[in-house]
Amino acid sequence: METTSAPTAAEARALLERAERLSRGAHDATRWPYIAFILALGVATSMGTFAMAVTTGRGFGLAYVGTLAVTFVLLIFFMISIRGRSAFARSRRWTAYIASWFASYAAALAVVIWAHGDVVLAGVASGIVLVVALVCAAWEARS
Amino acid sequence: MTATVPEQHPRHRLDDLLQNPVRFSIMAALDRAGTLGFKEVRDAVEITDSALSKQASALEAAGYVSVGKSFAGKMPRTSLSLTRQGRAAWKAHLATLREIAGSAGEL
Repeated sequence: METTSAPTAAEARALLERAERLSRGAHDATRWPYIAFILALGVATSMGTFAMAVTTGRGFGLAYVGTLAVTFVLLIFFMISIRGRSAFARSRRWTAYIASWFASYAAALAVVIWAHGDVVLAGVASGIVLVVALVCAAWEARS
Repeated sequence: MTATVPEQHPRHRLDDLLQNPVRFSIMAALDRAGTLGFKEVRDAVEITDSALSKQASALEAAGYVSVGKSFAGKMPRTSLSLTRQGRAAWKAHLATLREIAGSAGEL
């Protein structure tokens, strides 16, 4: 049976500091691939969808293949960098980040499909993808 | 005339399970991240595998932590996640510690 004495005010302060240090340390050590991934994914898909929306022919093909290739490389980087890590993988926060990015990306793709050539609309839609990714990364960095 | 009930000292509200330093540290490590791999927790808390395993089992039995098992290829992987009940208990424990830390007199 364990017996523990109640902490004094000084000990309680030390415990709180230890909790803060451990919590921050564990989080900082594991979150960087997630922040890097969501940032890079946002930049790549934002630029990619903008390029696809304003180009035709070979330019469109290049933008399409380029976006796919960069996304594929990012996914590989992400899978390798989070090997052995479990942080955030099933967290609600991480699900919210990906869902937010996906919603903005789907909207940008809709612009590519139904408003092809509209530079203003393409700029706004791609900008939203970038802003969503930046907000998610900033939120994660500050959390 | 009304009888006055003496106010209970905050130390009585501390969670007994979380007064163990290793269990306290495990909960602290999981606080922000939510879910961490077994090795990540072990490195953060700086304890042996067997000590972590023992204390994680105690936290799991109390419903504070859920232990997940999965495979990455052929390699087994264990993860620890803070449950809703665990988060509530942790927050209450920290709140009590803050109360004690802020109290003027020593116990």
